[in-house]
Amino acid sequence: MSDRPAADGLDDRSRPGVEEFVTAWATALHRAHYVPISAEQRRRIVAGLADRLVTAVLAEPGEPGGGRRIGTDLVAAGFGSPEALGGTIAVIGSRFLGELGITADPTIAARLNRLLADLAAGFTSAAHDLSLRAQDTVRLAALAARTQAEEALRVSEARFRRFATHDQLTGLPNLTLLTEQLGRLSAAQLPIDRVGVCCLDVDDFAAVNDVLGYQVGDLLLREIADRVGALTDRRIDLVARLDSDRFAILVRDTTCAGDAVKIADQALAALAAPFRVNGTEVPLTVSAGVAEGTVADGGAATLMRASEIALHWAKADGKATLRQFDQDRSNADAERYRLSAAMPAALRRGEFTAAYQPIVALRSGQLTGVEALARWQHPQLGLLSAARFIELAERTGLVVPLGRQLLEQACRQASRWQRVQPGLYVSVNVSVRQLRRNGFAGAVAQILDRTGLPPHLLQLEVTEQAVIDLTGIVTETLAALMKLGVRIVIDDFGIGYANLANLRSLPLHGLKLDASLTRSSAQPARRPGARRPGTDDDFLSTVVSLGHKLGLVVTAEGIETAQQARRLTATGCDNGQGWHFGRPVPPHEITARIVAQQHHDAVSPGTELPALPIQQR
Amino acid sequence: MERPDWAPADVDLSRPSVARAYDYWLGGSHNFEVDREFARQALAAVPDLRLVARANREFLHRAVRFMLDEGIRQFLDIGSGIPTVGNVHEIAQQVDPDSRVVYVDIDPVAVTHSTHILAGQPNAVALLEDLRHPEAVLDHPEVRRLLDLDRPVGLLLVSVVHAVPDQDDPYGLIRRLWTALAPGSCVAISHVTTDSRPDEMGEGARLSGRTNTPVTARTRTQVEDFFAGLDLVEPGVVWSPLWRPESSADVGEHPERMSFYVGVGRRR
Repeated sequence: MSDRPAADGLDDRSRPGVEEFVTAWATALHRAHYVPISAEQRRRIVAGLADRLVTAVLAEPGEPGGGRRIGTDLVAAGFGSPEALGGTIAVIGSRFLGELGITADPTIAARLNRLLADLAAGFTSAAHDLSLRAQDTVRLAALAARTQAEEALRVSEARFRRFATHDQLTGLPNLTLLTEQLGRLSAAQLPIDRVGVCCLDVDDFAAVNDVLGYQVGDLLLREIADRVGALTDRRIDLVARLDSDRFAILVRDTTCAGDAVKIADQALAALAAPFRVNGTEVPLTVSAGVAEGTVADGGAATLMRASEIALHWAKADGKATLRQFDQDRSNADAERYRLSAAMPAALRRGEFTAAYQPIVALRSGQLTGVEALARWQHPQLGLLSAARFIELAERTGLVVPLGRQLLEQACRQASRWQRVQPGLYVSVNVSVRQLRRNGFAGAVAQILDRTGLPPHLLQLEVTEQAVIDLTGIVTETLAALMKLGVRIVIDDFGIGYANLANLRSLPLHGLKLDASLTRSSAQPARRPGARRPGTDDDFLSTVVSLGHKLGLVVTAEGIETAQQARRLTATGCDNGQGWHFGRPVPPHEITARIVAQQHHDAVSPGTELPALPIQQR
Repeated sequence: MERPDWAPADVDLSRPSVARAYDYWLGGSHNFEVDREFARQALAAVPDLRLVARANREFLHRAVRFMLDEGIRQFLDIGSGIPTVGNVHEIAQQVDPDSRVVYVDIDPVAVTHSTHILAGQPNAVALLEDLRHPEAVLDHPEVRRLLDLDRPVGLLLVSVVHAVPDQDDPYGLIRRLWTALAPGSCVAISHVTTDSRPDEMGEGARLSGRTNTPVTARTRTQVEDFFAGLDLVEPGVVWSPLWRPESSADVGEHPERMSFYVGVGRRR
């Protein structure tokens, strides 16, 4: 601040007493109000003002507006507080005339009064303006701060939204954004009515991460994202990364499922080229699931799920392939799942029962045994055959308690039948899972004990698969069962990959030929000189005699006609089973049949009992 | 969900701001009625609060001049508040026009106002940052642009440290700040205490709970502890008017009534 005194004030400043007055004024101002200047600066400012004051009081006729400007400049110098004005008036009023030795004649006194009034007015006016300016500035600052905060909030929200809707690794949209976009399309405000979702998943990606490390895994995921993101088909609406190694392509404006499949094929083709990381090729395959349909009625969201279901099929069907969603297959899946889930409770409630299918000696036509077959008396679906649920029970392991329950039922029933037909045996299926469990033979022994069935009247049917790979525990179990006196037969013989060596080494009782061998096939074209079995009958005879040579009892399954029965009798096959001899029926019908046969035998022994009418349940 | 760390501070004009109340105590008009209402309540509790504020402001200026005499030409003023007359860059640039000043405050209005005042000032800038995030302050691109941290810096923590409660580890924060500065750097701290006027200043501190920056008053020993590791320059930690006064007249009869402990430390 440069506040040089006016040139015409030079004489006045040299007046005696001015120095003292300046000191008094500067001290009063400093006490009243803090301005961050040095004492010397403060003194210089006050000296300038004092000179102008002297001039204003002594000059003829007096400088108009001089007092007002002193007040204004006081504020401009920073001394704008009420205390500064008060101090100024007090010092001027009490010290000015005295220190400067000016006689207070009425003219001078009046002039000084007017000067003080002007000074106060100028000061107040300037202080008021200063306040108003400050208020404007602070208000504008507040407004600007608020705008900036809002802008920053918008930016951070945009960043946050991007963070929330995009995958950080690949930069692709994530599941949230895909779901939103599907939702928008479903809102049906858009001129689009069909969309497709292609779900892509890297096969066995966990192994890549495990073996090569996450960094390599991440590089591969980026590469995959780049390749899929680079697809240029105009119908591709969005490419998203759903989770670790799963991606999705949203396809719009499709006309049929084929359109979406084409896009998925393009993606698979793009991903089929070799992946290289640090110069090393990383073998990768990808599976895809495709769903396509209308977006109306929120269908878009279900398409997402459908594509994932189709992806599961692609995985289940061997991976590195594409599957298209199919409602029938999905329904069947869902039905199987529901059955599977309902099974444990059904087992507790005793909804599983056994049906019995006759096994007859082919030569005599006599009933020699029955096969116990699992049935589920489902509260809603009615009676379900084993084909509907045994595979599910195998998968969940429920086959173990279920098998044990059926075994006990069958043994108890067979034990009862001994009273009407001594020697009638019951044949029960045993799953691989049961055989592989410790203590199975012990459980069988207990059941035989409880039910009173002689061990040799219990026949256990095991599959070829069960004995193809004889691990220690299966061999031990089979040996223990043999030791009990229980009969073991190979079920479904001839369709699996039986280890013939095992047929010789295992303590087997017999073979059950699969129904597919029993039915005659189309005659193969005969080529002269070809060395192959001439007819089905030749083939069957060979198999039967193989069994007999090994000392095994041979039973043929799936005999549906009298002709088949005659053919098999001719091969020397021991026993027969199939609709021709009777369908699986509840136990009381077997009892009725035994009674009928005994009655028949008493009347006309040696002739065959006519087939019973087919019982439908 | 927790607010992400890049989310901006809110501008809440319905709460009093200590920065604007401080301006009012100093006689300024850069404040709103909500601030003045709080400021008047505080004045009712501590009638000479204007003098307390003034004494603190005077310490700031003496400390800056001291650092200028020490050859320091770059300043980091944290808790700078509302710019009034006699801002650090004005004082520093009187001595050396190339002096550089970074103002930091947590109050968005104070910062936008400062930015407005500093328009056309290539060597001074105001930043919206928090003393509680020293690295965010030190690594701020504007700090890096204006200040050369390999040369001494004047770190000004005037009437701000008492806004950091104990659970935010004020000692650790301040140490993290000055350890990032070059040897020869100076740290000025002024801090509210209730040692001399437990009732009045205690009530004032209690009232500050209404603002965004409630006060934690500390004892002399606690204030001295902020200088641990630094060379405390003469006369050490004292009442604000007693730190290198320019004249004995500036001290007054009861310097302890000014209720601020102040001091300057130098980094070895």
